[in-house]
Amino acid sequence: MASKNAVKEAVKEKYISKDFKEYVRDVIPDKGLDETIKGLTPEKIEKTIKAVIGGRSSRIKAVMNTCIHCGLCADACQWYLSNDKDPTYAPVAKMRMTIWEMIKRDGKVDAEFIKQCARIVFTECNICHRCSMYCPYGLDITFIIGMVRRICFLLGVIPQRQLDQTQAHIATLNQVWLSQNDWIDAVQFIEEESGADYIDLRVPIDNERAEIMFLPLGAEPKTGTYHIERTAKIMLVAGVNWTVPGEGTWDSSNMSMFVRDFVTMQRIVRGLYENAARLRIKTMMLTE
Amino acid sequence: MDFLESTALYNILRGPLVWVAFLVFIGGSLYRVYTLLDMARKDKVIFPFISLKATLKSLFHWLIPFASRNWRLRPVVTVVTFLFHICLVFTPIFLLSHNILWRESWGISWWSLPENVADIMTLIVIFTCIFFFLRRIFAPEVRFVTFNSDYIILAISFLPFFTGFLAYHQWLLPHGAMVNLHIFFGEIMLMAIPFTRLGHMFYFFLTRSWMGSNFALWHTRDW
Repeated sequence: MASKNAVKEAVKEKYISKDFKEYVRDVIPDKGLDETIKGLTPEKIEKTIKAVIGGRSSRIKAVMNTCIHCGLCADACQWYLSNDKDPTYAPVAKMRMTIWEMIKRDGKVDAEFIKQCARIVFTECNICHRCSMYCPYGLDITFIIGMVRRICFLLGVIPQRQLDQTQAHIATLNQVWLSQNDWIDAVQFIEEESGADYIDLRVPIDNERAEIMFLPLGAEPKTGTYHIERTAKIMLVAGVNWTVPGEGTWDSSNMSMFVRDFVTMQRIVRGLYENAARLRIKTMMLTE
Repeated sequence: MDFLESTALYNILRGPLVWVAFLVFIGGSLYRVYTLLDMARKDKVIFPFISLKATLKSLFHWLIPFASRNWRLRPVVTVVTFLFHICLVFTPIFLLSHNILWRESWGISWWSLPENVADIMTLIVIFTCIFFFLRRIFAPEVRFVTFNSDYIILAISFLPFFTGFLAYHQWLLPHGAMVNLHIFFGEIMLMAIPFTRLGHMFYFFLTRSWMGSNFALWHTRDW
């Protein structure tokens, strides 16, 4: 059995980057990358890259002109450490294979390269900032990764699941494609169901001048109603005057952050604050 | 060789080119710092988050060997890095030969290193440069991100100290030639600092300020 698996492992298809021969990975099909790159043209790619990093912000310039290529960031990165210290996982390597190459080629890269970048910055980095903590200069490597993520986002090249959430936020301002009716239905369902245990339990909607406005994550009303139920129970026992918003934004998860979708990020955050102002509440309480 | 050890070449290198080198070094550095700060101002999201207290804390933290976690995780690299930089910066400033030149030109002088100490410091720069060179070749995570520019700036830093050492001991080439080469490479280094990644000399303080301020903002340790 063991030898059968070993043979399977050995003949598993490998992807070897044509730009960086040391970059060797398993082939993992993902519609968000494989299909979306088909719509890219060199002009679109170049235009997008120039739009995002052409202005050469101070943080990009600081990294490009200060990074001494010492590789001390490598030991910070869990991807590097858990992949047998493969140098292509090091934070500085991620920069080299994405933004340094884009700048070197003046934005003239092909769709395969963008797919490779997307794979690197979405699935081989989680923007945890550990590299910045280990860099002697304190370089903002995550900012660079974020800019590459933005380029991939604007080109629509994002791993399938993340692409779904990005689009959900753009279309519905929550990550789970809930309509406003669905949201209110879920809240009312929770109130009904909990009535069996706590007769006084309420999940107030648009309760003006409440102390606390509770803002769940998208998954809670969709697949984890018990989270909101527990919160309601705590509020009941603590005697807190609270509410959830019935209009506008209610989902405090901001997955748009992960793709640097600045417009939607702003819509979400502004929507949350506008609800707070509208209901004149004292404190916004987010699940996470 | 005749030209290389000539007084004519010495006079050029010791005279107008010193002016050029220092003007380019000082003016260039000020220009580079100013442009980065101006860019940061235009970005609008940098300056509001900068904290002077956090900057100073972060600078002290990273300028002390073994204070930060990564320094402790890499003791050899840490020792080499600190020795390299300390000797690189302080040898030229406190070298007797350089002091004599300042007194010749401007009538000012200051304390000098004993010659044998300066000799050892120069050798430290030479050997630490060799260490960095070998690191670029043999450490996989460094090799993957090493380009020609990295070897060039290493050579630029190495050559003034190498030629200075040889000139002092009067080895390899006639003394005049070695001194001229030394001055030439020294001037190259001064002029290269603002316009290459040797500019990390001043950028370090700015990037450290940004990240230190961010750590303070997030209430996280400066590891």
